Amino acid sequence: MTERRLQEAILVLTILGAGIAAYLTVAHLAHTPVACVASSGCETVQHSAYSELWGIPVAAIGLAGYVLIAASARPRTDLARVTGAAAALAGLVFAAYLVYVQLGVIDAVCQWCMASDVVLVALVAATFLRISRSAAPR
Amino acid sequence: MSRRRLALVAVAAGAIAGGALAAALALSTGGTPKPAAAAPVGAARVAAMLRGLDQNGTALGSRTAPVTLVEFADPQCPACGMWARNALPVIVRDYVRPGKVQIVFSGMHFVGPESETALRAALAAGAQHRFWNVVELLYENQGAENTGWVSDTLLHSIGDAVPGLSTSRMLAGLQSSNVTNLLAQGDALAQQAGISSTPSFAVGKTGGTLRVVPITSLSAGGITPQLDAALKQ
Repeated sequence: MTERRLQEAILVLTILGAGIAAYLTVAHLAHTPVACVASSGCETVQHSAYSELWGIPVAAIGLAGYVLIAASARPRTDLARVTGAAAALAGLVFAAYLVYVQLGVIDAVCQWCMASDVVLVALVAATFLRISRSAAPR
Repeated sequence: MSRRRLALVAVAAGAIAGGALAAALALSTGGTPKPAAAAPVGAARVAAMLRGLDQNGTALGSRTAPVTLVEFADPQCPACGMWARNALPVIVRDYVRPGKVQIVFSGMHFVGPESETALRAALAAGAQHRFWNVVELLYENQGAENTGWVSDTLLHSIGDAVPGLSTSRMLAGLQSSNVTNLLAQGDALAQQAGISSTPSFAVGKTGGTLRVVPITSLSAGGITPQLDAALKQ
């Protein structure tokens, strides 16, 4: 896959992820229920002690991450490639901790968060592949 | 810089940033695992019963469930404790978990001052969507009426045993105006429904008119015929 195709894929993935994160952020701030399969625990996760960091909704932190990755998708510089890959990996590491919190601490699973995690896995793959497919240094 | 080195820089930066965020969240919630040694009676059973179920204030289960069951109860009432320990697990397993019934707890506090303290703790936990964990653990650890069993120690122990609950936030909210308002709403609802004893129940289609129904026993079988009838309507 060419770098151009990877840049397009990264943009599409970030739009997906940002959409999920924006939805969860708005629902958290507006105290509105999250659309979720019956009794699956979305709201329990959304309102747990782990849903905010320093008063900032965790979903909003995710949204900021997606925006950063999207912003780094276009420029064809090493800084942009590394920034995108590092942000995606940081998101995945944080998401892995949140999965542990959902399964091991809160005892409830948020399907939207899981969907975002899938997007992050794909983004990590795409951003690191982008580094490997970029023009070789001269 | 070589592509290999770029990838290594990204891995290092990403791992550090992601790890820092996770550590910050763990620290801000007071560390992750709850102390098992101080766990109150029934902590594992209650956690298992409620695991994965949505809680919204004093409501348990899917808000789109076709039938709503309102439970009028006092945390100090022994019969309510029996119902909570014997009937509720069956109702949750057979009706709430499959999405057929949503249970709404309408708290009462006429047995004594400890009823109000206990109810306030559960309502404060409701702000973190953990009302049911706290109220069920209160029933599991229920003492004789007004003997001092609703102690700070018990509330701390219960708070620490509830998955995902910030005990400090719960205790800080005990006297909040929000909890006071919820308490008043419960009183008004009970008065409106003409409830004079606990536990009492009202059943009906979700969003429709609920009807106060008699129960024939404090086991699940005492209320399930009413739930089945409402589901068939």
